[in-house]
Amino acid sequence: MEEVKTSKQMLGELLDKHYSDALEAKKNGQLVAWATSISPQELLTTMGIHTVYPENHAAAIGARKCAPEFISHSKGNGYSVDICSYARVNLAYMELLHSEAGDIPKPDLIFCCNNICNTVIKWYENIAKELNIPMIVFDLPFNHEYEVSKQDVRYIKGQFLEAIQKLEEITGRKFDYDKFGEVMKISSETSVWWKKAAMKAMTKPSPLNGFDLFNYMATIVCMRGTTEGMDLFKLWYEQLCEKEAKGLGPWKPGEEEKYRVMWDGIACWPYLGPTYKTLRKYGINMVTSTYPDSWYIVYEQNDLDGMARAYSSNYVNRNLDFGVDNITKLVKDYQLDGIVYHSNRSCKLMDFRQFEVQRRVEANTGVPSVIFDGDQTDPSAFSLAQFETRIQALVEMMEKRKQMAGEK
Amino acid sequence: MMETTQELIQELTKIAEAPGAAVLDAIKSTGKKAVGCFPIYAPEELVYAAGMLPVGMWGGNTKGNLAGKYLQIFCCSVMKANTEQALRGDYDGLSAVIITAYCDTLKCLMENWKAALPGMKILPMVYAQNRKTASGRQYMKEEFLRIGKELEKVGGTEITDQALKAALDIYDDYRSVMQKFIVKIRKYPAVFTPRVRHLLIKAAYFMDKKDYTEKIRQILSSLPAPEPLPASRHPIILTGLIGEPVEFLDLLQENDFSVVADDLAQESRQFRTIADRNLPPLDRMVERIALQDGCAFLYDEKKTRGAMLIDMVKQTEAQAVIYCQMKFCDPEEFDYPIVKKELAQAGIPMLYVELEQQMDSMEQLRTRIQTLAEILPTRGR
Amino acid sequence: MYLGVDIGSSSSKAVILNQDAKKIGEAILNIGTGSNGPQEVIGQALFQAGLQREAIRRTVVTGYGRMTFTSADRQITEISCHAKGVHFVMPNARTVIDIGGQDAKVICLDQSGNVGNFIMNEKCAAGTGRFLEVMARVLNCKLEDLSGLADRGDNGVTISSTCTVFAESEVISQLSMGQRIEDVALGAHCSIAQRIVGLCNRVNIVPEVVITGGVALNRNAVHCISEELKLPISRPDDPQGMGALGAALYALEFDKER
Repeated sequence: MEEVKTSKQMLGELLDKHYSDALEAKKNGQLVAWATSISPQELLTTMGIHTVYPENHAAAIGARKCAPEFISHSKGNGYSVDICSYARVNLAYMELLHSEAGDIPKPDLIFCCNNICNTVIKWYENIAKELNIPMIVFDLPFNHEYEVSKQDVRYIKGQFLEAIQKLEEITGRKFDYDKFGEVMKISSETSVWWKKAAMKAMTKPSPLNGFDLFNYMATIVCMRGTTEGMDLFKLWYEQLCEKEAKGLGPWKPGEEEKYRVMWDGIACWPYLGPTYKTLRKYGINMVTSTYPDSWYIVYEQNDLDGMARAYSSNYVNRNLDFGVDNITKLVKDYQLDGIVYHSNRSCKLMDFRQFEVQRRVEANTGVPSVIFDGDQTDPSAFSLAQFETRIQALVEMMEKRKQMAGEK
Repeated sequence: MMETTQELIQELTKIAEAPGAAVLDAIKSTGKKAVGCFPIYAPEELVYAAGMLPVGMWGGNTKGNLAGKYLQIFCCSVMKANTEQALRGDYDGLSAVIITAYCDTLKCLMENWKAALPGMKILPMVYAQNRKTASGRQYMKEEFLRIGKELEKVGGTEITDQALKAALDIYDDYRSVMQKFIVKIRKYPAVFTPRVRHLLIKAAYFMDKKDYTEKIRQILSSLPAPEPLPASRHPIILTGLIGEPVEFLDLLQENDFSVVADDLAQESRQFRTIADRNLPPLDRMVERIALQDGCAFLYDEKKTRGAMLIDMVKQTEAQAVIYCQMKFCDPEEFDYPIVKKELAQAGIPMLYVELEQQMDSMEQLRTRIQTLAEILPTRGR
Repeated sequence: MYLGVDIGSSSSKAVILNQDAKKIGEAILNIGTGSNGPQEVIGQALFQAGLQREAIRRTVVTGYGRMTFTSADRQITEISCHAKGVHFVMPNARTVIDIGGQDAKVICLDQSGNVGNFIMNEKCAAGTGRFLEVMARVLNCKLEDLSGLADRGDNGVTISSTCTVFAESEVISQLSMGQRIEDVALGAHCSIAQRIVGLCNRVNIVPEVVITGGVALNRNAVHCISEELKLPISRPDDPQGMGALGAALYALEFDKER
């Protein structure tokens, strides 16, 4: 009898395949690109260029507690400890080329989109310089107005076309626009299934343990343009629906989901287990985060304007008013009891709006929140004891609010 | 003759030391409105062409806790100081502020300012990172047009082609005079100490550019024939965002350094590039940014900063480069390892110093700088 | 006679040399800049040498407090002075790791003892003597007992926080979780070793590596740094006196120049 695979098993297999395919491709002399996590991979997928994502790889290195070796190597090269730790890990990996957490091939091409931060331009510029390889930059202007402007859409679309030309020059092959259309379609659909699965957490209790978002994120980054990726998220969605139908919560049967919170920002990868366990200990399920929407990149097939707008609409590339509305909506949609803000030493773009967002979201919703200090990959900028104290304080606030609601 | 030089120098350094008062004076005496311009590059020419006075906003030695409402402690001190000053009301006299999105901190800052200062006219803008491509150039042009329209509203004057061309000519004249200025003053290290050099260049941010350029011309023409250089001076080049605080520059002087050239965003990067005068005005503005290589804040595919510094060292016969790292300024932090490697390969000594505009203690900095002075002569100059 | 004075943040040292660069007096006091330590330590060194103040022909001052000591002929940085002192007693030294109370530095020397390159810790105190002071306080032991305590540790507890304040809370929580105090002490030494080696990685480390400064007296810390660096580390007999010795050697040199 053939056993039905769980989505988690499939996730592991897909990731292994993603990395081994890339290594194999490199061995066979095929081109490999290093790309930022929310870049228009459609162009590379269409061109059949194997693509790996240094942010994901750095996160995996962090989660496997292998980051310090890379961080100290980068420090030796002169990289300040105040720089993004993904960058510090990856710039060291570029030289060391091996980690117990898994390997990625050296790149022949750099593919960089600054809708997630301007830091990636600096980071990737250094890779391109050190390895003497071409770099394609997608400059997606920061949306200081609420919506993406027509002027920006024109610029971004122009860059897509210029990038296609550059890719044709680099590969010596023609760009296949029919295939491009297909990849666009698959990419959008995969994004839709990713979000549909994530939205299952809206049910109370949530069948989804929100920390799974951190695991599945690897696939939405690496395999958004593939049918395998789409199938995975469909399967995940179906399994969550089954759990939901049975009325199951995120954890073991009988383990109550007491509080529902969102996590703002990136995970603390080296402390993924401890942060998860700390929350779970208090019955807190992290039902959502800023992750589901970050890879909800949806647009009509063959609509380059729509694609431009979708890529520029990533929340960190949008203004503070949008950030406030976004979280306010999440509080309502997911029936949140609280918010945990990660003041992440690596990510100034996320951090430096956090104080004002927190104030305004609190004014809009009345939901309590805490900010804790941490880092996405550098274990030295986080203290578990401090984290737990913050979480305890949040629990006290959430409990008080529940009591008050009960008294009314 | 030297007396006039000293008077002119004092006039300008005073302005740079007390910019607030200088700007208020300028507003009063010219009757013009003033528009704040954030680092790194802002379309000052458009402000000027709209009949207003562009004013540079590069932080300062401002301490306080107002900015802490919006920014974590690991935000760069220039942006913290600007925010502190704005919240304190120092910028209430400005009719608008242009905030540009060169780095992640600046993106957040424009958003916080909109939230914190509802009474202030904030004009956020984005410079294209793809500076040399057709799409990037087109975008820049559209962005200049958009900001131009906003400035017309603020100033109540239309920016005509003619006015813009005149403004560009004034700015390019300023740039070419400054290029000559920094070369000529190398021969007068006792007069143009690191602090004086810095303040003279900085004064440009708080005056009408035409008047400023005139004063610099006068200084240049008032200089006597140069004396022979004292042997013990260490000629050096500064690179980075800003060469502040001034106490840092005083340490340079105490240790016999003289700044013979710089690649500071606040100083030479403002005037080292001039675009073709025959281009149409907006293209001329776009072209200048396209040509501005070797700057940490503009995407530079070839990453030319190290090579540029090596050339500068050769041209000026500088003994060393000081990398002035503004603490928490990540674009500059990312350039350092590459520059460090390239300079080391070229055999050029470089000292890395972490600076903040508000420094509590200069002692470690003093030790670093003094040590550089102690080790340089042994390299046999 | 030639006097070298090193005024640190937490200690003052003085060395007196004769014409032949032979040490005829030396003293150390555990009070640093901003106190009467410098005057006292000079008095003690003079007493040991059997000299009056007038017998001193040249004085060079170095260290954190060198700017406030005005009666010297010259002031020179502790980097140049440590290099000088170490080269004098250990001419094969190519790298000096100096860990004082406030600053940690790595100095690269050429064959003639000239400083080729140097690097100092960042603003944070994590890689300095101050870190060990804080750790000793948290572990409720004397600073000088910390090394022995760590010797009895089997498995150093990982202290990952860069910042001293963070590390303090981390250690407190480790102790409350029942970690042995000896293992925490060992962890603290490993932690400082990692910081120091991080600093070392930024320059090209060439043996022989010599350690100086107050932390050099902590054998466990020296051992941890050596392990982490994967290189043997030598220590002069008087690791805290290298700066003052170098200063005295400069004083002698300047007198010859005149």
